[in-house]
Amino acid sequence: MTRSKSRREVLLGAAALAGAASLPRVASAQAKGRIVVGTWGGDYARLLNKNIEAPLLIKDGWEVVQDQAGDPERRSKILAEMRLPRGTTDVQGLSAINMFQMHDAGSVLPIDYGKLKNAGNLLPAMKYPYGVGHIYSGKVGVYNPKLITTAPVSYKDVFDPKQGNKVGIIDIQYQYTLVCAALAAGGKVDDLEPGKKLLLECKKAGMRIYPTNEAFAQGLKSEEFGLGVMWKARVVQWQNAGISVMPVTPTEGALAYVSGFVIPKNSPNKEGAYAYLDAMLDKSAQEAFAVDMGYNPTVSNAVVAPDLNKRIGFSPDEIKKLVDLDYNYLNKNDVALKEWWDKELKG
Amino acid sequence: MAAAAQTHFQSDERPTSLLSATTLVGPATVFVAAGLLVPLAILFRYSFDKVDARRIMIETFSFDNYVKFFSDPYYTGVLATTLRVAALCTVVCLAMGLPLAYVLARTQSRFKNVLIMLVVLPLFVGNAVRAAGWMTLFGSKGFLNVTLMQLGIITQPLQIMFTEGAVIAGIIAVNLPYMVLTLQSVIEGINRNVEEAAFSLGAGPATMFRRVLLPLSLPGILAGTILTFILGMNAYATPVLLGGPKFKMMGPLVYGQFQLNNWPFGASVAFILMTATLTLTATANILIQRRFRR
Repeated sequence: MTRSKSRREVLLGAAALAGAASLPRVASAQAKGRIVVGTWGGDYARLLNKNIEAPLLIKDGWEVVQDQAGDPERRSKILAEMRLPRGTTDVQGLSAINMFQMHDAGSVLPIDYGKLKNAGNLLPAMKYPYGVGHIYSGKVGVYNPKLITTAPVSYKDVFDPKQGNKVGIIDIQYQYTLVCAALAAGGKVDDLEPGKKLLLECKKAGMRIYPTNEAFAQGLKSEEFGLGVMWKARVVQWQNAGISVMPVTPTEGALAYVSGFVIPKNSPNKEGAYAYLDAMLDKSAQEAFAVDMGYNPTVSNAVVAPDLNKRIGFSPDEIKKLVDLDYNYLNKNDVALKEWWDKELKG
Repeated sequence: MAAAAQTHFQSDERPTSLLSATTLVGPATVFVAAGLLVPLAILFRYSFDKVDARRIMIETFSFDNYVKFFSDPYYTGVLATTLRVAALCTVVCLAMGLPLAYVLARTQSRFKNVLIMLVVLPLFVGNAVRAAGWMTLFGSKGFLNVTLMQLGIITQPLQIMFTEGAVIAGIIAVNLPYMVLTLQSVIEGINRNVEEAAFSLGAGPATMFRRVLLPLSLPGILAGTILTFILGMNAYATPVLLGGPKFKMMGPLVYGQFQLNNWPFGASVAFILMTATLTLTATANILIQRRFRR
């Protein structure tokens, strides 16, 4: 009897202690509210948690929830929720062209840079009126030195019909591939007709089309082909995975790839959204993303080790020559371009 | 006394059974209406709208999206491919599933449950994961090609991935368990004595199958065929992963249009797919039932 009572007391005491210990943590986790982050899954989501959310937000009392999905699904969600007074996400991670698309549809807030204490360090090119650049890389030529003995120096060298079936492209990257081919053929970012013609010639010569980035990497690895275009950051990841591949910054200027975040107009927690954007621009988070993912920081105060910078970065001259997409042109012509891609190039 | 009890029972029965029926049917009906019919109605309305780069859709009432689909050989070709693949997969599933289902239904083995579990086992794995498995088998440096090359049967790897054949193999692997399970449950309900009677009257196995087993298992064949055909028509992961970028079926086409924010055309393609599936399924159902009623 005494033993039983004593055990109960001990258990009650332990429960009270545990409850008391957890109370401040719960209070702290809810003190600043919840931030819902729309993001791609996989490594990017994991690294957002590791480099931004855990060390800079959750620690300070924010609760962060990730809403993981591909960007088409999340864009559809933003648009579908547009008419609602209260949306379901506070920030959404999108590529620069998709940030523009959401802005063009009137679904995102203009960014008030005065609310971001790290905004002063943000590179001017990454300050979009409707979104904030998080990481960037460039679309470079890639080649397998085992198969391609003369290294390409330009997009023109990559999209050369003489290379026959040694050239590979990625289906889901139709917009960037079209622009790269246009630049190779003397076109511009808003004049893709020469690029279409060149791609059809390459197709006739045996160019291979891979459905995804992963399938493209697999093709490179198995030496089905040896030439293509890809983000420099991805090349670094592939090299780390043991694939024989080298990057070449094209003489036409590499197409810039920017991934950033927007705030949906009906974000339930706008204060939290700004806190997230600010944490994302923190020096430590930016440096960690360069190390973990191979993308370049978008803030000037981030320090990237020289050897890493050599692999992922661009020289000042190359940075000057970075080419941005014409978002408005691509957004307006996206349906027609995709139809051409599916019917003429793939058909 | 008995009559009074019966009267009492009858007078109580109707309201109770009505109440029970409503209670039983109500939640599912509300769920289906809210979760399926309402979104379908909205989607149907979208299919008459017009795409717009800025506003996604402009509200109008036009048949342009349907006209675009049926006047463009590319899109009608996608529908034809889908019908061909789904029909072929259904026929193969039926041909392979019927004997397997018969054996499973008639076996007296104590391992019967294990055998049924083995048929169900592939359903434990998602379609995408299963397709990834096929990719390692069919790739240019996959198991099949490497084996054939090492045996000296071929010198260059066969192009199996990103072909219609790979998609058909993948869909059959996904759909076969559905066909087998449906047929097995129906065949199990057919009395074995009926077959014995046919044999005792001098029918051979083929005649018994044609005159006895086939007509009696027709409900199962119809259910399995409809299920497999619908799954084949709506396949998504398998055509995307095994068919590659050049191979198009209706499921990936619908997704692709929504991905492009072309909701009106995506909605119209979705309704064309649904209508084609329902029409063909209903027609086949009526024709087969008429044929065997005679």
